[in-house]
Amino acid sequence: MSNISNAPGEFERNSSNEDSGSQAKVYAARMRLQNAIDQADALDAIREIAANLIGTEEVAVFKVDKKRSELWLYWSFGVDPNKHSVLEVSREPKLKSVLSGKSVYRLRLSNENLLSTDDPVTALVPILVDGSASAVIVLFRLFPHKTGIEAVDREICDVLSHCAGRAIEPYRAR
Amino acid sequence: MSKKVLLVDDSSTALMMEEMILKQRTTYECVTAKDGLDAISRAVVEAPDLVLMDVVMPRMNGFEACKRMRLESTLRETPIILVTTRGEEEYVEAGFQSGCNDYITKPIDSFELVTLLHSYLGE
Repeated sequence: MSNISNAPGEFERNSSNEDSGSQAKVYAARMRLQNAIDQADALDAIREIAANLIGTEEVAVFKVDKKRSELWLYWSFGVDPNKHSVLEVSREPKLKSVLSGKSVYRLRLSNENLLSTDDPVTALVPILVDGSASAVIVLFRLFPHKTGIEAVDREICDVLSHCAGRAIEPYRAR
Repeated sequence: MSKKVLLVDDSSTALMMEEMILKQRTTYECVTAKDGLDAISRAVVEAPDLVLMDVVMPRMNGFEACKRMRLESTLRETPIILVTTRGEEEYVEAGFQSGCNDYITKPIDSFELVTLLHSYLGE
């Protein structure tokens, strides 16, 4: 029996399985954020999504100041808050793009860090409120067995960007 | 009759994702528990064909729950797969010491999960 004759069917089965796995992750992220009961739960949802769906237990949320020149640490998990209390936009070129509403990801084989910190930053994700970036989620080091950000992770980050407003605006409607 | 899988995780995000993957890709019935203690009582009542359990949970972690399940006569032979964020050797070894049959790392890959469960339960 030839293995080659089975290859196309196997490929379809695998890609279909990957699609449904991606859908499940994106759906779970969206539902978890939309069903957050209050601000603390919304922040916990960000932590859960980062750990269970993306693959990092080091995450922080920075709020953008009124002049949009600095970002202040608002909440963090798994990182030293003293090392990351404030980010100056003028010193962090990647943040300009993020504040315009676009997520920025570290490329898989790149050694370039996204922020001027010793801790490796994997992704910068704006939290959009009424179309404007009000805060930025920083995803730091990935789990050692995870080699980089994948397509599904970018979709999950899109969900974080559009559905995590409640984490920074307590009275925001769901 | 469809096989029954007990999913154990304190994260509702993880439970939702695992349940959705299994509903889409298998015929298994899913029941859930929120921590190790809850898992033991659910497992005794539900008699699942397999347990998929997180390690880090409040009240009782996955290692301890696994050890205690092995003391229950009805659960002694039930396959237990631990879900861990760490693939390091000593962490995996601790899982096998507690009596688990296998482990899978977070974030869960749907293909890996379904293939692993099929290997224990059949398609």
